[in-house]
Amino acid sequence: MSKFAEPMVRLIDSLKKLPGIGAKSAQRLAFHILRSSDEDAEGLAAAVRDVKAKLRLCSNCNNITDVDPCVYCSSATRNQRMVCVVEEPTNIAAIEKTKHFNGVYHVLHGSISPLHGVGPDQLRISNLMRRVDDGQVDEVILATNPTIEGEATATYLSGQLRRAGLKVTRIAMGIPVGSDIEYADEITMLKAMEGRREL
Amino acid sequence: MALKESEAIVLRTYPLREADLLVTLFTRAEGKVRGVARSAKKSKRRFGGALEPLTYVRAYYEDRERQELARLDSCEVLESPLATEVGYPRAVALAHVAELLDELLPDRETNDAAFRLALSVIAGLRGADVWMPVTYFELWMTRLMGYLPDLGECMICGRPLNGSRAFFHALTDGLMCVDDKRLASSEISGDSRVLAAHMFRAPVENFAGTRWPKKQGSDLRKFLIQTLQRHIEKKLVTAGMLEKISA
Ligand SMILES: [Zn+2]
Ligand SMILES: [Zn+2]
Repeated sequence: MSKFAEPMVRLIDSLKKLPGIGAKSAQRLAFHILRSSDEDAEGLAAAVRDVKAKLRLCSNCNNITDVDPCVYCSSATRNQRMVCVVEEPTNIAAIEKTKHFNGVYHVLHGSISPLHGVGPDQLRISNLMRRVDDGQVDEVILATNPTIEGEATATYLSGQLRRAGLKVTRIAMGIPVGSDIEYADEITMLKAMEGRREL
Repeated sequence: MALKESEAIVLRTYPLREADLLVTLFTRAEGKVRGVARSAKKSKRRFGGALEPLTYVRAYYEDRERQELARLDSCEVLESPLATEVGYPRAVALAHVAELLDELLPDRETNDAAFRLALSVIAGLRGADVWMPVTYFELWMTRLMGYLPDLGECMICGRPLNGSRAFFHALTDGLMCVDDKRLASSEISGDSRVLAAHMFRAPVENFAGTRWPKKQGSDLRKFLIQTLQRHIEKKLVTAGMLEKISA
């Protein structure tokens, strides 16, 4: 017999499925929810339900959104002809933080990963190709991660995107700001040299 | 415990808890070693690009009392696959080398021949062509693991196969003559058997620079992959991915 009542066991089991949550943390969270006000608990339940019911992918760029097209794709002040390609929706926030990119996005929802059986066919690129082929895009910025998988994805996309008049760029890789080049590893230094710019 | 130092090839990493990475290394000193790189996922400062698969590194690690996983202290990049453009076929081929090493090598068993083989094949994969290094690697790994049967005679009747047709089957170990072949066998050409014999006599560098289409040795690769998969009793993910690459 379990040491907790059945609804408690169910909640703990559900929480345990979350990334980074072990049995102990799940128990702690479950008891926290039990002790919280009815209002807070209802709010949490509703938020969980809504995230599944109301969120979907933007049909234009695959960003997660509650309106389709998403806020970026429907913005009149953003440059709709400059598309930044990222691996995950969470990457958008990192780029938005700079407040210096005024283009729009395309989310791949992953990267080429042969060890996991993920090839180009599993990436969401068809709507990107459609935007490009419809003449809606002047520049595509490939902002996939500086990893083997991110590089393979960027190289593959740059091959697919070769069109007259379309500019395809890759974000620079190299030394983190505020660090010391003395501590940069060989490959980071090499990439920083490759990505140098004229002053 | 004392910090150990060894040349190593990074095979795979998996996220572990919030910020750590579980890293599988093929070390020259001790063979395959699995260790934890603390905070490697969150803070890239310490490991940088050193933990990308198939990076050749100098690794510093220590064993922990009564624990299977070592603690990975730091890695110094000696040669990174990111130094050369990573096209899709190359990415799949590199992943294939990593998967084979990871699946075939036992934990903590030195294998200097396999280490040298891996280094030379990874170097060979800097060029545009992937099929030659991949074929060479599969062939030698099968042999080094002791899984390669005699390619010169029929496993059933013992007749020499030189100059005559030869067949293989997913469920049997060796090659068969035309009289003994099983139903649904595949043929391995005489050319591919000669190729294998050449590859056993020369380093991988000797084959660089020759044009090598996907078709060449594809029957040999199929035979080798079937042999390896039968021994490890599972499908190799990257073998299927390689298969799908257009010539
Ligand atoms: Zn959108
Ligand atoms: Zn026979």
